[in-house]
Amino acid sequence: MCRAAFKTWRTFDTSLTAELFQLMRLTVNDRVHDVAPRDDETLLELLRDRLALTGTKLTCDRGECGACTVLLDGATAYSCLTLAVSCDGATVRTVEGLAPPGSLSTLQQAFIAHDAAQCGYCTPGQLVAAQALLDHSAHPTDDEIRAAMSGNLCRCGTYPKIVQAIRAAAEAGAGVGPSAASTADGAPHGA
Amino acid sequence: MARKPKPTKGGFVQTIVEVEGRTETRTVELPAFEPTPWTDDVELHIVGTSATRVDASEKVTGRARYTADIERPGMLHAYILRAPIPRGTIRSVDAAAARAMPGVVAIMGPGDAPSKTRLLGNDITYAGQPVAVVCASSVREARNAAHAMVVAYDAAPFAVTFKAAVAPDAPKVRAAGNVNPKSPLVIARGDVAAGLAAADVVVTGEYRTPVALHTALEPHGAVCEWDGDRLTIWESTQGIFRVRADAARILELPLSKVRVIKDYMGGGFGAKNGAGAHTILAALLAKQTGRAVRCINDREAEQIDSGNRPASVQRVTIGAKKNGTLTAIQMVGDIPLGISGWEGGPAQIYHELYACPNVRTEETFAYINTSGMQAFRGPGYVEGAFGLEGAMNALARKLNMDPLALRKKNFAKKDPRQNRPFSGNALLECYEKGAAAFGWDGAQAKALSVVDRERLTANHVPTTRRSSTSKRRGVGLAAQVWPTGGGPPSYATVRINADASIDVLAGTQDLGTGSRTVLAQIAAEAIGAKLTDVRAIIGDTQSLPYAGNSWGSMTTPSVGPAVRMAAEDAQRQLFEAAATMLDTTPDTLEARDSRIVVRDTDRTMTFAEVTKNLGNVMISGSGSRGPNPAGVAINTFGVQFAEVEVDVDTGLVTVLRIVAVHDAGRIINPALAESQMQGGILQGVGYALYEERIVDERLGVVLNPSMHEYKIPTMADVPVITVLWAGGSDTAANHTGARGIAEPPIIPTAPAIAAAVADAIGAEVPQIPLTPWRVLAAITGTR
Repeated sequence: MCRAAFKTWRTFDTSLTAELFQLMRLTVNDRVHDVAPRDDETLLELLRDRLALTGTKLTCDRGECGACTVLLDGATAYSCLTLAVSCDGATVRTVEGLAPPGSLSTLQQAFIAHDAAQCGYCTPGQLVAAQALLDHSAHPTDDEIRAAMSGNLCRCGTYPKIVQAIRAAAEAGAGVGPSAASTADGAPHGA
Repeated sequence: MARKPKPTKGGFVQTIVEVEGRTETRTVELPAFEPTPWTDDVELHIVGTSATRVDASEKVTGRARYTADIERPGMLHAYILRAPIPRGTIRSVDAAAARAMPGVVAIMGPGDAPSKTRLLGNDITYAGQPVAVVCASSVREARNAAHAMVVAYDAAPFAVTFKAAVAPDAPKVRAAGNVNPKSPLVIARGDVAAGLAAADVVVTGEYRTPVALHTALEPHGAVCEWDGDRLTIWESTQGIFRVRADAARILELPLSKVRVIKDYMGGGFGAKNGAGAHTILAALLAKQTGRAVRCINDREAEQIDSGNRPASVQRVTIGAKKNGTLTAIQMVGDIPLGISGWEGGPAQIYHELYACPNVRTEETFAYINTSGMQAFRGPGYVEGAFGLEGAMNALARKLNMDPLALRKKNFAKKDPRQNRPFSGNALLECYEKGAAAFGWDGAQAKALSVVDRERLTANHVPTTRRSSTSKRRGVGLAAQVWPTGGGPPSYATVRINADASIDVLAGTQDLGTGSRTVLAQIAAEAIGAKLTDVRAIIGDTQSLPYAGNSWGSMTTPSVGPAVRMAAEDAQRQLFEAAATMLDTTPDTLEARDSRIVVRDTDRTMTFAEVTKNLGNVMISGSGSRGPNPAGVAINTFGVQFAEVEVDVDTGLVTVLRIVAVHDAGRIINPALAESQMQGGILQGVGYALYEERIVDERLGVVLNPSMHEYKIPTMADVPVITVLWAGGSDTAANHTGARGIAEPPIIPTAPAIAAAVADAIGAEVPQIPLTPWRVLAAITGTR
């Protein structure tokens, strides 16, 4: 994996002389971005505010609800608790990157078919967590699904439909190795 | 299908609309025609099918735009600083350090908001009350600056419990008094004392329910932007027109200069029914800075100050004859509302669920120094069901009677409160269907007084969960009633475009309930189009006809009939045009799948062929919701059966399964209806087992304002849920035959679970949530 050149520079704004910005490179949904996040910036802020990837949601801002879940080097991460500067060289996948533009992944299709989104606000995090589960376990049992997904809260109570959708997606092959949509990033799926 | 709609005389009439237990008389114009009712024998092709949610693909791709996703050029962010004490006055504010912080553009503190806003005053009446607001280039900068403000308070004595608020020497929570002026609110019929005297058996109980928090995943929020003297508000709301009215009133603007937009929203559950502090402060800051301003609650603010279901204490007495016939129901309730709120107490369901000649409720509502209550899914009825159904189950145990038989015995054939006929009531069918699906054998709920561990082995219903000697199973049930008639005013327009695509325009909103889909289905059915040709456009006050708030399970029965009428009106015009082209008369035509057929011939035209001939001739149908039928009670009914497993060593309750059977009239989309049922039941599971806002009585602050400490159910807590329907199309309610379903499912869940726990452990736990320590206390009798 190609790590970005590590650069720092002092800002030209003299009012901020003490502040250091770190230029870093990360890959989000197969696109490479050079960004210079603040040292207190979260990955969630970077995604939403800098890259306009607003599919990932802010709900609790402290790792309690899972709405901000993304894949960070292939593993689920709460982007609200992940410092952006710690993602130098990382590969990130968000809900927008679960399938190529204009298409839907097997899992997304299963969520639609099983009505697994009511208000839809937690759905991006649910999908990312579910894809991570399927990437690691091609045919999870219901107990495995419940355990893997219990960090993603849904107040509409869509859980039964989400379980159905994940089960159906697994049956349709969404969990047989890395899904078509997630091979491109070279993330360590199944690791 | 109806080809000859009945013309009506027009003019205005008075009609009664029930909103969450409150009755309102409204004056409404009669629609130009009334579509022929969709009775059960009318063949429908799209209504009644589990069509895919029309906005599902936006939701699974992250394309759905919620209020917090709205970005405007040059947009600033506002953060509200909130009071850390429950009562007192602000002595001084030092904002110098905050003003000097990077990114800060504007600060408003005490006294800086117009008095009409009633915001940012000097007096603190609850912890979490907005004190100041900082506007900056980013949320983080605004928040950092807000916390750099130095605010000095003179703290004063406070009351955060009902008892403290009604004590003789209580601090003045509100200047006009700590008890709501309508208290004690007494509703009575018959003679309860005589009824109790005539009873063979009397049960009494004190039932306690907690303060529950809506905890929508998307917090309250708004983006406000001015264009000259016109204000646009993007708001996460259940009522765009109400937000518009609130903003116009408070900011002294004509309604026409305020536009409210709501595309997607992340849940409401009753807490998002108007403009909030975040809306008004964002609007003021946007005016002051000349920039768009976004103000979104953080989670702590959301859990502390965005509304709640108030707590209740219900002292219940029920008298019955030996055969189970009720002779009297009495409830005396204490309800602490918070700093504000309405009389949405537990009383109503006591009057409406059972036939009983003598019923009396007396409620006292107190103001306390906590954030004000808001409607929360089934307000009042949810609390009341826990008391009423708890006492009914206690009565069944005392009578040694099957609790299901007790309910059947006291089934109300007419609305027992106002002696009106029901538009439809399949509660008895719900009981039968539910008992069969659940395997209810009537042998449960004996009068158990001792914990009997041996009984474990006698368990009847198999499940997949493992069991050990400390685990005990129990079953229980509870019933439900909820007014779901909806009503006027509500309007819709249906446009047929030049390519025969169809727009449904209605100023309603989709909270995640599926109204976009349901309205598109109704329009497609009524006009005879393919569902894929129909798009429902909702959520914008500027361009859409009025609809009321999406509350009180009202959207489908209120907006649905208006949409249907508009679609039939558009179809009439389309048929008139097509008749000329097909050389026939409109009454020989019928439509399906966007194709018009001359009845009993092979002559046909697609909608697109007709509209192509018409060019840009605009076919636009209009519809409105007519008055409700007079003298009829319109309710959704239901029953839920629960099976639980209780670990008698730890007190931990696991809900194994719920069978729910409800009668909501015609179901427009069974899949979406099932989703909503499951969601309501799961909120009921949370209410029964986990959810409780905790306020420190010495400090007067909320101790668990987070999603970790205020526990809502997770996927791991989900029981097996079976959703079934009873009854059929209710065309006495409205011509679509549909009643509301949003709120009913949460109402009976907690009392059904509590009954199952009582069955399992042989002792009643009359206080929710049924936490392990409460269950253990009941088992050991140390309560």
